[in-house]
Amino acid sequence: MASRPYALLDEVATRPGRDTAVSAVVRWTFITLSMVFLAALLFAPLATVIAMALAKGLGAYFATFLDPDTRAAIRLTLITALVVVPINTVFGFAAGWSIAKFEFKGKSFLITLIDLPLAVSPVISGMIYVLLFGLQGWFGRYLQDHNISIIFALPGIILATMFVTFPYVARELIPLMQQLGNDEEEAAITLGAGGWLTFFRVTLPKVRWGLLYGIILCNARAMGEFGAVSVVSGHIRGLTNTMPLHIEILYNEYNFVGAFAVASLLMLLALATLVVKTLVERTGYRRR
Amino acid sequence: MSITLDQVTKRYQGVPVVNDVSIDIGDGEFFVLLGPSGSGKSTLLRAVAGLTGVDHGRISLHGRDVTHVPAQKRDVGLVFQNYALFRHMTVADNIEFALRVRRVRASARRERRRELLRLVALEGMDERLPAQLSGGQQQRVAVARALAHKPEVLLLDEPFGALDAKIREELRRTIRQVQRELGITTVLVTHDQEEAFALADRIGVMNLGRLLEIGRPDELYTRPATRFVATFLGAANLLLARQTKNGLRFGTLGAEGGADGSVADVPQGAREQEVVAVIRPEEIELAPARRALVCSYLAAGVVEEVAFTGALERLRIRLSAGAAEAELSRAANGNGDGLLEVTRSQHEQRAFGVTPGQSVAIGVRRIHVLPTPLSSFTAYAATLAQATELSLHPLLAELASRMRTRVSTRTADEHAAITGAAVIAAEPEAVAKIEWLLKEGVEEVLVLPQGAGPPQRVLIHWADDAARGATLAVAASLLRHVAAEGVYVGILPTSTPDGQRPHSMRALLDARSEAQAVHGLEMRTELRFGDVAEELARRLAESPDQILILGISQLTGLGARFGALLRPEARSPVLIVHRAADLRT
Amino acid sequence: MKPLRQPSVLPGFGLTFGFTTLFLSGVVLLPLAALVLMTASMPWSEFLHVITTPRAIGSYRLSFGASLLAASINVVFGFIIAWTLVRYEFPGRKIIDALIDMPFALPTAVSGIALTTVFAANGWIGRYLEPLGIKVAYTWIGVTVALTLIGMPFVVRSVQPALLEVQRDLEDAAETLGAGRFYVFRRIILPTVLPALLTGFTLAFARAVGEYGSVIFISGNIPMRTEITPLLIVIRLEEFDYRGAAALGFVMLVISFGMLLTINLLQAWGRRRHVATGH
Repeated sequence: MASRPYALLDEVATRPGRDTAVSAVVRWTFITLSMVFLAALLFAPLATVIAMALAKGLGAYFATFLDPDTRAAIRLTLITALVVVPINTVFGFAAGWSIAKFEFKGKSFLITLIDLPLAVSPVISGMIYVLLFGLQGWFGRYLQDHNISIIFALPGIILATMFVTFPYVARELIPLMQQLGNDEEEAAITLGAGGWLTFFRVTLPKVRWGLLYGIILCNARAMGEFGAVSVVSGHIRGLTNTMPLHIEILYNEYNFVGAFAVASLLMLLALATLVVKTLVERTGYRRR
Repeated sequence: MSITLDQVTKRYQGVPVVNDVSIDIGDGEFFVLLGPSGSGKSTLLRAVAGLTGVDHGRISLHGRDVTHVPAQKRDVGLVFQNYALFRHMTVADNIEFALRVRRVRASARRERRRELLRLVALEGMDERLPAQLSGGQQQRVAVARALAHKPEVLLLDEPFGALDAKIREELRRTIRQVQRELGITTVLVTHDQEEAFALADRIGVMNLGRLLEIGRPDELYTRPATRFVATFLGAANLLLARQTKNGLRFGTLGAEGGADGSVADVPQGAREQEVVAVIRPEEIELAPARRALVCSYLAAGVVEEVAFTGALERLRIRLSAGAAEAELSRAANGNGDGLLEVTRSQHEQRAFGVTPGQSVAIGVRRIHVLPTPLSSFTAYAATLAQATELSLHPLLAELASRMRTRVSTRTADEHAAITGAAVIAAEPEAVAKIEWLLKEGVEEVLVLPQGAGPPQRVLIHWADDAARGATLAVAASLLRHVAAEGVYVGILPTSTPDGQRPHSMRALLDARSEAQAVHGLEMRTELRFGDVAEELARRLAESPDQILILGISQLTGLGARFGALLRPEARSPVLIVHRAADLRT
Repeated sequence: MKPLRQPSVLPGFGLTFGFTTLFLSGVVLLPLAALVLMTASMPWSEFLHVITTPRAIGSYRLSFGASLLAASINVVFGFIIAWTLVRYEFPGRKIIDALIDMPFALPTAVSGIALTTVFAANGWIGRYLEPLGIKVAYTWIGVTVALTLIGMPFVVRSVQPALLEVQRDLEDAAETLGAGRFYVFRRIILPTVLPALLTGFTLAFARAVGEYGSVIFISGNIPMRTEITPLLIVIRLEEFDYRGAAALGFVMLVISFGMLLTINLLQAWGRRRHVATGH
């Protein structure tokens, strides 16, 4: 999601409006409608997560995290994120550098490809790997003969997560790099700096806030991905269940406290992501 | 020489943005590249810095050919218009960047930094971030940063562009001071002539990718060679004049209106011809009557507008009938509005105050005559309708507007002399018309086929050596006004013996160096073998958007030799330059 | 031949471009090719049969119908929320503005179980709707509610910048010229915001059609009634009917591409208007 210039937003909102009775009515109608809509659809579900997780007290809440299967799910999710996020960050930089700093043919096609996972159903994102590596897939026979498991195992989970989340860092970096221009890089080069030095000393610090948000968002999506992972994981308890999949299992077993306790962790992660996003937008991320 | 550019050309998508530019910049010189936006000056600067490659030509710094040396190794300091400071680094880190890259010790870095901050008057700002500095201060940091590694040349790309007037002036002084103190060769790019005057040892004026003129500021101001430079460097009134041995004659005033030789710097031994005269607004004197004038009389006029602007008074004077037709300068279509721009000092105002509506006598202290051979165009056709249609030809209109001159019309029955270059349509009788016009004393005839557009290449050829100087002058004049490359096509008969060939090559190179030395014209050369007219036709057929400048000195056999190039089917315009051999001086 | 890229002084084009294309080929193009080829290897009649079974048709109806409805609701409420956030100052505005992105950052499984709980017959909101005869959870209404939630940020975030663009001066000028409030809205605000609204609508719709996690909990998954297309694909995969799944996936992929194209065209249109109005 593109960031917006906050200073401008504040300015527009606080600019003196017309203080007529009609404006006041319109104003309160709009605010009330917005609040009711958000309360029903957003705030109530968020509050429910906490309420349900704590329904049987703090003891039951924490007990959830002692369950070995829950711990295995958390561990798997962390491993996945630990592998996927760095790869996607490198990809984001490669895509950002080549797309923002150079003119070449087929650039818009490349950008479309990067956007593709955002438009494709997560189920399809998972399925394409099943079609490739599943038992009846293209490489299924070969993989089985060589005793390599991708689908219903960690590599499949990582691949599917990577597919779903790789656009996030790139989509933060590409517009940011384009907008910040090449002047500073060119200045560094005329001052005698080489390519890598220019990248690490000039470009990287220049985009660090956008990069941070991209990484955090990518991480949140990677840890929370459900559809794509659900297709490739095989739902083996304690082995190939990530946190979102574990939530599903607990929920379907009517273990609501457990399901919502795990959910509350992911919700905290989402909240933290939004906090970082807000901080990033307010501090060093001012657009010229 | 500190910086040498040799025929540097840079194209974007086939269009030259820097076109055959050659400059020599001396050690410690402050050189300003001046031109409107899009004139190619910034591209040229970036080429010197190594940020842009060139398609043709060579760039040397202190005798070292750096054309293919990457920017990192060129040892130049570049200051960008938008400062391009590293925004996440402190002032100190910004300035020390180049030294860090070169692994200079910390203590030496610190010392150099202090020295530079003193130089740009920013002592004590070391730990600030760029965002905490004003625009002027940021640009000072950028200058200090560019100087840190003691580069051989300092390049400044519109460094004052983003600053307001007062800070601009202050920073200008700082930069001039720093430059003097260090004695560093400096190139500054700007579109502001006042800035150029204030800073430059020499100015190079660019337009449409070409370097039009180089010179000291005062030289360029008082003696410009081209209409563009005359009007770009300050206000100028342009008037068409008839140059005679007694001086200049303006409009239809005959001997009445004009200026004697004492005020006009007419080239010595010049022929009688139509010329473009430049009169600066401050060189004009106003008086109640002709006999009250101190200097040479120009014409009578009526004050149309008076504006007070502080130190100076700006006036617009409507020229009286007869003289008004001579005025060229302001309107885009080349037809002047008959108004003369005048500025007067407080002293002059006190001596003779004027109000709008008042009749005055106009005198002129100094007139500069442009050495341009293409002064104006006259569309010539059998009927007025045809002549008018021809005068509206897109290429002609474009040329006239770029050259800031006029297109008049003439029909066969009128008897007035044709002034400037004649223009005729490409038609079966074109050859006959050309012969008639040339016999009438016209020296340039432009033959325009229908639908010809602005040229991308100007082919230059003279069939007779007597026409060589004139052809080069016309080519130079034309190339200053169109974004095209100039190519001299030398053609030898196929039967040329091998022993003769080196000689021909030398003649070709001589032509190039003459073009460069005498007319400031950069052109490329091509040598072909075969029949002259056939080879020219073949060359013209190679691509559209070309124009041929053909110099001749003999009228006989024109049709037989070049008729094929002048027929309606020909797609390319041909500009015939005629100089009779005996008139050559 | 023209060079692949314009020469530049900055290094690293080969490395970064190479890595980018290699990555995209391996991660995106190859798997997608598998899907397309798997579908292409099916006889036409079989393909047609698989994608037109009554169960598939029923799932399309629900997926597209609910998505369309949800995106439409979002256009109305998204505009109201964006307007409220841009134009009015009230306590908690900044927090609410930050929370708009919540559905985007929140894992779908979490929003799925939370919504189901809230809208179930004994849930916080469901218990008030139940007596009115409105069943939300385990019906198409629940599907729509879930899809509305996940589509909401797309509309709000598209419209907000466009609303910032509408110059207040322009509105004031129009009012001093005697234009009424509604006239100003119709002639000045709406035209500026329209491309953004359409972009937001398309983004929300595209996202909703493919949504899986937040829907499957609240939908009840009754074949022909509350079964969305992505779920049907999952069921086919679990039956190891790869070809059937691929065919359905192919249909959805084609639709996704169409959406992507529409979004790009809409954004280009918005940019053109932007330039034309001279901002």
